[in-house]
Amino acid sequence: MTIQETSSGKIYNVEILPVEDIDFKSIDKKRYFFDWKAEKNYEIYKLKIINSNDILGIISLERIPEEWRIHIRLLTVSLENKGANKKFDNIAANLIAHAAKIAVAEYAELACVSLKPKSNIAQHYIDKYNMNITGMTLSLEVPEILNLIKTYDNE
Amino acid sequence: MNKKVNIEDIEFGVDSRYKSNSERDTDGAALMEARLQRIKNLPVEQVIRAKLLQLKLKMEAYISKPSYDNHHYFSEFLSAYIDTIYNKRSSFAKDIDITPVSLSQVINNHRAPKEEFILKLMIHSEKTYENVCEFHKKTWYQVYFHEKICDTMSTQDKWRPKIEKHVKFSESLKLETVDNSR
Repeated sequence: MTIQETSSGKIYNVEILPVEDIDFKSIDKKRYFFDWKAEKNYEIYKLKIINSNDILGIISLERIPEEWRIHIRLLTVSLENKGANKKFDNIAANLIAHAAKIAVAEYAELACVSLKPKSNIAQHYIDKYNMNITGMTLSLEVPEILNLIKTYDNE
Repeated sequence: MNKKVNIEDIEFGVDSRYKSNSERDTDGAALMEARLQRIKNLPVEQVIRAKLLQLKLKMEAYISKPSYDNHHYFSEFLSAYIDTIYNKRSSFAKDIDITPVSLSQVINNHRAPKEEFILKLMIHSEKTYENVCEFHKKTWYQVYFHEKICDTMSTQDKWRPKIEKHVKFSESLKLETVDNSR
């Protein structure tokens, strides 16, 4: 997986790893927007450039095996990667692709990644990731989930 | 849906947590109903793509850490690979120019795969995965040797006593102990 530096166009290889206890010291609300300690009971993953310790994005997930589904609870990029002047591009996309890989590894053709964003930002996710919409829930399923992985998981 | 949203509102992330279990269950039920309809209409080739990607992810997960559970991973992954894309295993055997008996022996762990078998499998997988996802050429080799290494390490009590008798040190080694504490 890679991210792109917006100022230079330079591509960096990234890795997505489980958040460890020691990480909670640095992932504060100021830079990462949410209270991540409150997510400790769920799977939390961090995205960082390989050989760097700086966390650029975080995602927390809930597995719902009876529905062959992985639900994205929280997703964020770090403060400097927010908005028009963001430092790197594709952080959120890689984190969603990571959730998609977990879903496909578990459930193959039944795999589903869901999220329920506020209605004013839902269209962004529908347009960018080709998500399905059911009520207020957005979902990625086969074939869109496979296409997303093919696009972002270029390892 | 309102399309006129500030990009800053979008890109910082999403709070998608359910407020309650009942909200989760209600949303899940509605989603499931819609998904089942879509799954019913899923073309066979998309099912195959999903299964092949799942197989690749499982192989990558397997080679990423030690595993000492006596499973025959190489042959399990091989059977899953063949059964995903062929109706008959003999058709795969024909495609890689080996006899169905040889293939069966590898799948059932009655014989180890020859190097040529793995090379053919590598080439076959390259073509298969072309339109599915990235697939490293070395993956089958890695699975095979990872299983070999894990198996060898976990069965030392079986092979070591016999093998050790045939290992001697005719030159006495006088190596100083390295002090790692400094």
